[in-house]
Amino acid sequence: MAKDVRARVGVGVVAVGATALIGAVLLWWGGYDPQVAAGAMFRGSFGSWNTFASITLVRSVPLILTGLAVSLAFRAGVWNIGAEGQLYAGAIAAVWVGLRGATLPALILVPAVLMAATLGGAAWAMVPALMRLRLGIGEVITTILMNFVGIYLAAYMVHGPLQESRGVFPQTDRLVEAARLPILVPSTRLHLGFALALLLAAGLAVLLRRSTFGFQLRAVGASPEAARVAGRIRTGRVVLASFLVSGGIAGIAGGVEISGLTYALYEGLSPGWGYTAIAVALLGALDPIGVVVAGVFFGALQAGAGAMQREAGVPAAWVGVVEASVILTVLALARLRAVGRRGGS
Amino acid sequence: MSEVLARLDGIERRFGSVVALDGADLILRAGEVHGLLGANGAGKTTLLNVIGGMLRPDAGTIEVGGSVVSFQTPREAWTCGIALAHQHFALVPAQSVLENLALGLARGWADPVRDVRAKALKLMDRIGLRVPLDSRVDHLGVGDKQRLEILKALLKNPRVLVLDEPTAVLAPNEISGLFALLRELAAEGRAVVLVAHKLDEVLMVADRLTVLRAGRTVLSTVPGDYEIPDLVRAMVGADPVDAIAIGVDVEPRSTKREPGESVAHLDRVSVTGGPGVDLEEVSLHVYRGQVVGVAGVEGNGQRSLALLLAGRVSATRGSVTLPEGLGFIPQDRSTEGLIAAFDLTDNVALALHRVAAYQDGPWLRWSELTRHAETIHERFEVQATSTSVLAGSLSGGNQQRVVVGRELSIATDLLIAENPTRGLDVAAAAFVHDEIRRLVATGVGVVLVSTDLDEVLALSDRVFAMTRGRLLEVDEGQRSREGVGALMLGGAFAHA
Ligand SMILES: Nc1ncnc2c1ncn2[C@@H]1O[C@H](COP(=O)(O)OP(=O)(O)OP(=O)(O)O)[C@@H](O)[C@H]1O
Ligand SMILES: [Mg+2]
Repeated sequence: MAKDVRARVGVGVVAVGATALIGAVLLWWGGYDPQVAAGAMFRGSFGSWNTFASITLVRSVPLILTGLAVSLAFRAGVWNIGAEGQLYAGAIAAVWVGLRGATLPALILVPAVLMAATLGGAAWAMVPALMRLRLGIGEVITTILMNFVGIYLAAYMVHGPLQESRGVFPQTDRLVEAARLPILVPSTRLHLGFALALLLAAGLAVLLRRSTFGFQLRAVGASPEAARVAGRIRTGRVVLASFLVSGGIAGIAGGVEISGLTYALYEGLSPGWGYTAIAVALLGALDPIGVVVAGVFFGALQAGAGAMQREAGVPAAWVGVVEASVILTVLALARLRAVGRRGGS
Repeated sequence: MSEVLARLDGIERRFGSVVALDGADLILRAGEVHGLLGANGAGKTTLLNVIGGMLRPDAGTIEVGGSVVSFQTPREAWTCGIALAHQHFALVPAQSVLENLALGLARGWADPVRDVRAKALKLMDRIGLRVPLDSRVDHLGVGDKQRLEILKALLKNPRVLVLDEPTAVLAPNEISGLFALLRELAAEGRAVVLVAHKLDEVLMVADRLTVLRAGRTVLSTVPGDYEIPDLVRAMVGADPVDAIAIGVDVEPRSTKREPGESVAHLDRVSVTGGPGVDLEEVSLHVYRGQVVGVAGVEGNGQRSLALLLAGRVSATRGSVTLPEGLGFIPQDRSTEGLIAAFDLTDNVALALHRVAAYQDGPWLRWSELTRHAETIHERFEVQATSTSVLAGSLSGGNQQRVVVGRELSIATDLLIAENPTRGLDVAAAAFVHDEIRRLVATGVGVVLVSTDLDEVLALSDRVFAMTRGRLLEVDEGQRSREGVGALMLGGAFAHA
C-alpha cells in the first residue's frame, strides 16, 4: 500500500516536471520568453495569499468536484465522460431552487440548493445509466451526448424561462443572500465550496477504502465477472449507484459554483471543467486525495494562464496545450511502468 | 543422444523481493516429451515464460538450436519455433475462437481468418479436441478455453511445444487423445514440454523428467529410474501423503456416509440459456454429511447445475431451496474466483463482505477480514510474503489455494466445488481432499463437479453423470472409471 502511494506520487511529480519542461519548450517555440511567462504564471497562481485563495483555490473547486465525480465512476468501471452536462444540470436545478425559495432562511435554503444540484446531476446521469443497464448501450457515447443536452438546456433556460426579470442579458436573476455559500476566508473570494470539496474527498476516500459499498464498487470496477460470481454482488445495482453518485457530485460542482461564486446562471458557466475533470481524475490516479492535489494543480495552471496572458502576452489557449500534455505524460508514464515490470527490472 | 533443440542454463529471475527462479536448468531434445514437475510456486510457469519470450531472465543463458538467444518478445520465440499454451490462458475475450487462433499468424495484408478456419478444422479432426470456432471466447467454459489455448499453440506448428498444465480441466478421453498427439509430434522430431501435477499422467507420456523445487532444478531423469514417491519427495522435499492426489491406488468409496437432513433441494428445475445445453427437469436432494459427485463432459449442463446450486443463476422453471452458509469454488479462479488487481485480503473480503459478522452498519470490519485472510494464508500455505500481495502475482496453484481456503471457510451448510484441486500440487490436493472430508464430517453437504473421475469416485457418496442436460445417478455396481466414463460418453453431447 505505502509503496503503491509512493509510486503514484512519483508519477505525479514526474508528470508535473515533464509538463513544465514541455511548456517551456512550447513557449520558447512560440517566441515568448519562458522565464517571464513562468514568473507571471507563478505570481498569478501562488503570488500572494490572496491570489492563491481567491483565484487558484476558487478555480480548483469545480475541478476537484468534477474530478471526484469522474474518478469515482472510473473506479467502478463506469466511463462517465458526462460530468460537464451533469454540472449544468446541477447548476440549473440549484438556481431554480435558489430563486424559488428566496424567502427561506439561509440554513434551509443553502442545503436545499445543494440538494437540488445533487439531484439534478444524478438525474442527468440516470439516463445513460439506464441506457447501459437496460439496453446495453455504452456510456461513453451517451454521457457525451447528454453533455450537449445539458449545455444547450442551460442556454435555453437563460434565454427563456429563467432569464433575468429585466430580460436584457442571457442570465438568471442573482440569488438572494440566503442562497449563497458563505465566504470561507474573510477578504478573499474563497467560499465554503472549497471546504465542501475537501470534505467530500475525505468522505469518498473513507467510503472507497472502508465501506461495503466502496468495496463493491472497486470490485465491480476491477472485475465485474469475479464480483458477480465470487462476490455475489449485484453488479447492475452497483453500476447504477456509481452513476448516480458520480452524477450527483458533478451536479454539486454546478450548484457550488453558482451559490458560491457567480450567484447566477449564464451561458458558458463552465469553461469545460467536466472535461478537464478527466485529466484531473487521471493525474490524481483516481484516488480522492490525489484528485484534490491534481485539482489544485489544474486550478493553479488556469489561474497562472490568466496572469500569463495579461502580463506576458501568452494566449490562454496555451493552458489547453499544457493540460493535454499532462494527460499524455501521465499515460506515457503509466505505460512505461507497465513495460518496466514485464522486462528485466 | 538426439539433437538438443533448446537448452536453459542457470536461469534466475526475481519479482521484487521474490525469487521465482534460482538457477533452473532444462534441456529439451528432439523426439522427447519432457515432463516438468514441481510443487506450486516452484517456478515452472516462470521458467516456461522465459522459454516463450514472455519474461526476460535476470541471469542464465538460453540456447535454441545451438546458438544463444535473448528473446525480447514472444514473437521472437515463435520465430525460433517455440509456442506456448499458457496456464492462465492468453486469449482475447471479446474475439471469436477463430480470431484468437488467427492472432499472430497474420502477415501483411492477407486475411488470416479464412485460411485458419480450414487449418483449425483439420487439426481438430486430427486430435479430437473440439471448440466451437465462431463463439466468443468470453462465452466459453474453462474446458473450451483450455482446448483453444492448446490448439492455438499447435497451429503455430512449433518445433518446441510448451504446455503449462493443459490437462487439469480436460476429460479423460481428451487427455489420452492429447497424449497420443504429443507422442506423434515427438516422433516427428519435435520437443514437447508438459507441466502436470498428476504424476501418473506425466509418467504415461514423458520420456524425460525435470523436477523444480524453489526455483532450482533438483532432479533430471528418465521415468523408471524413480518411483512416484521418490519423485514426490524430490518435489516437495517431504514424504507423500495421499494416494489419490498422486493418482495411484484409487478406490471408489466403499463405505457410504449416512445422509443427514436435506440441505439443498432442486425440484424439477429447468434452466434455459445458460452455458452448454439447457437443464431439463433436474431434481436433486443434497444431504448434510454427504458428497454428491457429478461427472460429465463439458457442455452437458453441469456448469449450469453448479451455478444453480451455488445460487449464481436462477431457475427458469421449478423450485430451488438453498441454505445460508454456502461456499462456491468456481471453475475458473482467474476470471471468476479472484480479482488479480486486488490483494489477498480484498480477495478474501470478496466472498466474506456479505456475511453479517464482517459488517458493521455500512462499514466492513477490515481488521477481522485481514485476520481471516491471514488464517487462510497460513492454513493453506499460500506462498505470498503477506496478505497484501496482489492475487495476480501468485502462481496458479497458490491462487487456487486462496479460493479454496476462502470458500471452505464460509461453507457452513453447503459447498459447491468445481474442479477444486485444479492446479494444486500433490500435497495441496491431498490437503484439500482431507479438508473436504473434514467439512463433510461436520455435517456440511458437498456437491463436487469435476472432470477428474478419480476425484469424483474417491470422494463421493453418490455419483451422478450429467448428459445432455439430465442428471443420471450411477449405480453402485457401475462406480468405476470405465463405468462412469461409458455412461458419460454414452449420452453425452459433444459439440461439433
Ligand atoms: N508477476 C509476478 N510478480 C510477483 N511474483 C511472481 C510473479 N510471477 C510469479 N511470481 C512468484 O514466483 C514464484 C513462482 O511462480 P510460478 O508461477 O512460476 O510457479 P509454478 O511452479 O508455475 O506454480 P503452480 O504450480 O502453482 O502454477 C511464486 O512464488 C510466485 O508468487
Ligand atoms: Mg504455474
